Amino acid sequence: MSLDAIRERGKPVLQLVNLVRVLGEGETATEVLHGLNLTVTQGEFCAIVGPSGSGKSTLMYLLGALDKPTSGQVIIDGSDVSTLDDDGLARLRNEKLGFIFQFHYLLPEFTALENVMMPMFKLGVPAAEARERAQALLDQLGIGTKSHRTPGRLSGGEQQRVAVARSLANQPLIVLGDEPTGNLDTVNSDNVFAIFETLAREQHQTIVVVTHDLDQAARTDRIIRIVDGRIVDDGPTQDVLARVEREEAERRSALKPHA
Amino acid sequence: MGLKVLLLIARRHLFHNLFRTGVSVSGVAIGVTFMVMLSALMTGFETKFVRETIESSPHVTIYDEYRGQTDEFAAWTSRQMGGVARVDSARPRETVRRIKKPLEILKALRALPEIAACAPNVTGTAIMNFGTRERGMNLVGIVPEDQEAVSSLDKYIQDARIYDLYASGGALLLGYGVAEKLGAKKGDTVSIKLRNGDSRALRVIGVFRTGITTIDYARGYTLLSVAQQLLGLGRDVNQIVVRLHDYSSARAAASKIEHLVRYRTESWQEANENFLSIFVIQQIITYLVTGGIMIVAAFGILNVLIMLVMEKLPEIAMLKSMGFTAFDITLVFLLEGLAIGVLGVLVGCVLGYYLTEFVGSLPIKQTGLVESEHLVMNNVPRLYVVAGVAALVCTVLASVLPALRAGRLDPVVTLRGHA
Repeated sequence: MSLDAIRERGKPVLQLVNLVRVLGEGETATEVLHGLNLTVTQGEFCAIVGPSGSGKSTLMYLLGALDKPTSGQVIIDGSDVSTLDDDGLARLRNEKLGFIFQFHYLLPEFTALENVMMPMFKLGVPAAEARERAQALLDQLGIGTKSHRTPGRLSGGEQQRVAVARSLANQPLIVLGDEPTGNLDTVNSDNVFAIFETLAREQHQTIVVVTHDLDQAARTDRIIRIVDGRIVDDGPTQDVLARVEREEAERRSALKPHA
Repeated sequence: MGLKVLLLIARRHLFHNLFRTGVSVSGVAIGVTFMVMLSALMTGFETKFVRETIESSPHVTIYDEYRGQTDEFAAWTSRQMGGVARVDSARPRETVRRIKKPLEILKALRALPEIAACAPNVTGTAIMNFGTRERGMNLVGIVPEDQEAVSSLDKYIQDARIYDLYASGGALLLGYGVAEKLGAKKGDTVSIKLRNGDSRALRVIGVFRTGITTIDYARGYTLLSVAQQLLGLGRDVNQIVVRLHDYSSARAAASKIEHLVRYRTESWQEANENFLSIFVIQQIITYLVTGGIMIVAAFGILNVLIMLVMEKLPEIAMLKSMGFTAFDITLVFLLEGLAIGVLGVLVGCVLGYYLTEFVGSLPIKQTGLVESEHLVMNNVPRLYVVAGVAALVCTVLASVLPALRAGRLDPVVTLRGHA
């Protein structure tokens, strides 16, 4: 499937226009992202890949309206993040975005069920409905029987699944994952990506995942490669992976000593 | 739902680490407990002194110092010459100071709305002899029913009534301390020596004990007519004592009365100025000490909440990513501080009540300005309100800094640090 074909599936929900992000001030100021342009449409399952320090996480925080660009625009479902005040940004995050981080960041004082209910509480969903929806999500992710356990009594994989359920609680437009499997073993990583695949394919949920693991990225529809704060490649997963493989082969051959 | 979820988060934070919460609550509770107890102790002494002073002493006393024109020659000269005359080096006449026409003054005073009662007094210093013992004292001549209306003397008299003064012409009520120093008791006859050298025998008909040392050790009462005769005042008096409906307005009333009767007046506050100023200093010390305790407790809360915020950085970042605003997060920690404060105040008030009662029950005898078998504790609701409000203000102020810090937290900085 071509990028155009992917885009035809839905309306743009995420747009970057000449995005620049400078971190630090004065002499320590460093431009981390250099004029990025990107469009993600509804229902896309994307991976942002790149080496450490390439600006992936910075980009993720900008996509999640947790940070504001130095210049350029981040447009989420038609709203320019730069024009929103703190309350507007908080409402945007609550209603349209779901986050999954490398560390689950579950609230340790609350049960798994309550953790999933928390974004719904903020949105104003009635308690009974929130409880029902949270339980359904946990059931869907295979940990429904452990919904009354606190995070400390769940395994790492289970905790991350609770985090996934929480990110889906308010039926967000976009789910953003920052190395969501970075802290999990292979089996649990596969499980989490399997959940993403199901959400994308069956529920047409927009999912953007930052990862450095190309094997995991291979399970998405689209890969965006970032190197040194620039998008160096963007396209359907198989095309990008093929280019990466070709580049790798060329690099190896360049390194091989001539006979 | 908004505030409910914030309350839920705050409650879980507090219950999740009961030891830490308990330490914070204890800090506030100890502050409130000691603030209540110390305030009760400090104000107890003052309250007892004031209560007994206003019960057993007049609210306003009119003295025999005339405030009108005294230099009659100068006044006459001025009138005659149509100008102002001054007489220098006038030799003072030998006169007995007195309040003239006391009945007219009493009538005028009783017409004033703020005056509850007034009574004529004749006072003078006398030397008391009983056997070989001799002691100086302040002899006060009274009209029993008028005096009783002003100073509630009757209830302080042991084994007698104030009206027993009428029983015989030479009856005397002795202060407990005077009687003790003389060794005289009810039924004994004591001899009174006056300034002019005359002496007269008076029979002790009872002993009174107000609990105020300055009265009990220095005063005796007899009939007004006896004192007038002994002090050579004829039908005049040298003091008029006044009881007001509102004792706290005594200063204003004294000024008004002085303007009316033209004799010097003194309110009970002026008469006890030295003691009252000591009480003010005592109150300042009390509030400084208890304020110090409260500030230490507040710093305890500040520490605990700062630690809590530091510990909760990732969760705060996550809450923000879920859509909680800076205000929401600030409110969570303010609510936690407030909850610690409220719990501390409740526990502190209960402990403060029992500690105050316990300290008040200790047999510690006081024999100074005010006599008591126990420490006098003023265990009244006002002290709890003051301590409670002070503690709540301190805890809320102590919570503001960590709460604002939590609210201002940039989630990206935290997430980047943990990534």
